[in-house]
Amino acid sequence: MTEFKPTILAFCCNWCSYAGADLAGVSRLQMPPNVHVVRVMCSASVKPEYVMKAISQGIDGVLVLGCHVGDCHYMTGNHRTAKRMPVVQKILKDIGLNEKRVRLDWVSAAEGEKFQKVIVDFVDEVAKLGPNPLKEVRF
Amino acid sequence: MREEHGNVGPVMISKGEDPGDVRTDVPYQLITILSNLYPWMTDGKKIAVVTRKCDEKALAEFFKRGYFARDRVIQIGLACNREQIRQCRCSDPVPSVVDIGEPHGGLDTDALSEKLMAMSSEERLRFWEYQFRKCNKCFACTTNCPVCFCDECVLEERTFVPERGVPPGMSFHMIRAYHLSDKCIECGECERSCPAGIPLLTLRKLVARDFKEMYGFSPGDEKTVSPLLTTLEGESLDGDECDEC
Amino acid sequence: MPRIGVFICHCGHNIASTVSVEEVVRFASTLPGVIVADHNLYSCSEEGLDSIRKSIEQNKLDRVVVAACTPRTHEPLFRSVCEQAGVNKYLFEFVNIREHCSWIHAKEPANATEKAKRLVAMGVSKAALLEPQTEGESSVTPTALVIGGGLAGLRATASLVAQGIDTHLVEKESRLGGLLNDISALAPYSEDASTLLKELVDEVKASNKAHIHLNTKLQGVTGFVGNFNVVLNEAGKEKEVRAGAIIVATGARDFIPTGEYGYGSVPGVITQLEFERVLKTGEKPGRVVFIQCVGSRQPGREYCSRICCNTSLKNALKVVEAGGTATIVHRDIMSSGTVWEELYRNASEKGVQFIRYMLSDPPRIHKKATGIAAEVYDEALGERIEVDADRVVLATPLVSRVDSAEVGKLLKVPRDKHGFFLEAHVKLRPVEFATDGVFICGSARWPSSAKETMSQALGAAAKAAIPIKRGKVVIEAITAWVDADKCAACGNCVVSCPYEAIEIVEQDGKRVAKVNETQCKGCGACVAACPNDAMQQRGFTTRQLGAMIDSLVKHALEESP
Ligand code: SF4
Ligand code: SF4
Ligand code: FES
Repeated sequence: MTEFKPTILAFCCNWCSYAGADLAGVSRLQMPPNVHVVRVMCSASVKPEYVMKAISQGIDGVLVLGCHVGDCHYMTGNHRTAKRMPVVQKILKDIGLNEKRVRLDWVSAAEGEKFQKVIVDFVDEVAKLGPNPLKEVRF
Repeated sequence: MREEHGNVGPVMISKGEDPGDVRTDVPYQLITILSNLYPWMTDGKKIAVVTRKCDEKALAEFFKRGYFARDRVIQIGLACNREQIRQCRCSDPVPSVVDIGEPHGGLDTDALSEKLMAMSSEERLRFWEYQFRKCNKCFACTTNCPVCFCDECVLEERTFVPERGVPPGMSFHMIRAYHLSDKCIECGECERSCPAGIPLLTLRKLVARDFKEMYGFSPGDEKTVSPLLTTLEGESLDGDECDEC
Repeated sequence: MPRIGVFICHCGHNIASTVSVEEVVRFASTLPGVIVADHNLYSCSEEGLDSIRKSIEQNKLDRVVVAACTPRTHEPLFRSVCEQAGVNKYLFEFVNIREHCSWIHAKEPANATEKAKRLVAMGVSKAALLEPQTEGESSVTPTALVIGGGLAGLRATASLVAQGIDTHLVEKESRLGGLLNDISALAPYSEDASTLLKELVDEVKASNKAHIHLNTKLQGVTGFVGNFNVVLNEAGKEKEVRAGAIIVATGARDFIPTGEYGYGSVPGVITQLEFERVLKTGEKPGRVVFIQCVGSRQPGREYCSRICCNTSLKNALKVVEAGGTATIVHRDIMSSGTVWEELYRNASEKGVQFIRYMLSDPPRIHKKATGIAAEVYDEALGERIEVDADRVVLATPLVSRVDSAEVGKLLKVPRDKHGFFLEAHVKLRPVEFATDGVFICGSARWPSSAKETMSQALGAAAKAAIPIKRGKVVIEAITAWVDADKCAACGNCVVSCPYEAIEIVEQDGKRVAKVNETQCKGCGACVAACPNDAMQQRGFTTRQLGAMIDSLVKHALEESP
């Protein structure tokens, strides 16, 4: 049996997390190639609908990364992200999915190493959870 | 609600008119009707509506979004009977002012919620999968929901609900659960309307419980002046600023 | 059907040594809508750009995807190439396969190549849905507002009015000058502070462009670069002014010791600023002991206030010149830079004594029958010595003003943990805030000498003049807009916008949300708040991002082996 390699989608805000991901790259920090970064202007623009859509289509895990709370380029954007994403996680749980498939974290433009750590951890965690059961649940 | 020729339906009467055979034991979403009516009430006059506790909460959600002017809607409080309370597994059935009916206490638990949360997540997923497979995308749940404010529903499009056909797939129900998380007032209308008999109210209750746990907030709460998931009112904006920046 | 061109960059070895560029090119050419897929050794080189330009023209492309490094540095370059070739710059999409792929998966070339393909597919699917945009412009109120009438504010105002710009100068006290009013002379050359102040005030007052508001506080600010609406409270009366740019020059104040070194209990123990006032009177200073770093460079207030050593050096020299004696008890003398080092040397040559103490064993002050004694453990001598003095001067740091919190909140600009304001970038944007149109200078940013304050003020004034002189501000087309047919006027977006850019209006008999595009900063918070997909952000529409997700699903889950 081949080892399960999760497919992961990551939303990174332009000002901090995307820059943090760039820094990880510039610093040549190695990480598993499962994560696909989508750039958005602010973590606050990540619609929970995107997360639901991705999960229901079988994506194994979704990461939402933004500036540290208090550092959002748009002042209070990520306060809103911080409020929305936990609700998404609870809905996943209520429906019988593991809420750990969705993770919200903060990575600043200076935190290349944190970016690497978040990616490594999350890929590891999702790999442990196994494939998203909704991949099989085809209506 | 009035009974005519053996059928019960909503009725609107004007001042001085005879209401006829009034029925108060039939659950019905009058607020949904009011929301369709209100835009036509251009004469600035007032309207009275019979409100159960859940209707009262729905009205609160309308008021806070500026859909209705508070002073144009007069509430006639209706206490639900035991059977209605049982059907809705309602925990909070008594309106703030009881004009009609006898107040009865609410129920603490929803048996199905308990059962589901006692299951393993695999079993729970299987349960919902089975239920949602029955969905025929008739949109009865959204049409009759008092707090679904949109005219066109986003779930009708492919942007977020990838599956074109019937049943619509998981994201349909997950997104609806999310949209309702800060406004569902647990009237149970979705569940009553669903021709497939999906226990939608239970899903609402599960999310509502989480919501209450996380934010200490239940929809219909007049204290929060705007929708909870978008407002930052009265919140501390302290952060965990990054030391390296 | 769009005509998409995909250009994959080798970036020399940076990408190509890990990702098989040829394979990605082959894959890209199979994607829907792709007319041409090509690769360049360095896409950003003159040669690379030229070949992209030619390809756009030859293949009549209307969408361009470049897979290379990061949009954060190179997007403007490729966008301008598109424009040169007649393609709207918003029809360009950047895919990052260097920082986000080749560099971080260096040991897994096969997997990295697969990932690069998926990333390119996602980019292409977004590109297909991109729409041309025109950048908005908004007019600019040709007026500046300067908050703070101290040295920084005066200098900035003088410079602005000299450029012919109407400037409101707001000062909360009843007179201009701020801390400068209390200072005798300025280090290092001991120019008379009051002369400088008078010159500046005269210069400002002489201009009919300067509008001075004394006893005035900032009460409210709305708006954005080019058009700020500012509510002032002038001696209890509200007044509204409009400004195109705002300069924050609120300065700092000196730290008042809380009983350290006998301050408040032993007569003759005073702060540096109080000593400045003494010097101003021309009174004989006598024997003076200066204690440095009182309340700074210690837990809780770790920073060095930078100006206190030089001030003590300058004042110690004055003391010696006036026939007194001066001893500076310090932890390190921070007088770096040519003129300051000279000042230090000058002071030691003229007989100023220096004794070093340690934070763990600070000097002790006691009252004597006549005068004061300072007991210091002299590190160099290795023994405790006593210095007699008529005055002990405590060199306390500059600390942020309490009301800077209020100003920060009103202007939505950040402050550090000590309450000093934070510029947008230490090196690249030293006198600007990240918020467009708001600038910073002087000690409100960080304790600064008079000279530094003046250069910062000149810099801020020059920067603030840019939008005003230009007469318009360009708005990047990433703003939000509402699909009025779908909007249910629920107001979610209204509350979610950090810039209050959205309001519910009546339009064709229907209540709908409306975005004020000049106020919108393009964060997209409203998009996420909208339950009905009515709110969209240019360049990040839900259809575009949805297509990226679909594409990932397709290429990672459905077509993977
Ligand atoms: S994109 Fe951000 S700034 Fe623009 S209207 Fe929406 S919430 Fe406000
Ligand atoms: S959130 Fe969407 S539906 Fe609600 S008012 Fe704003 S644009 Fe309209
Ligand atoms: S800009 Fe990074 S979270 Fe808002």
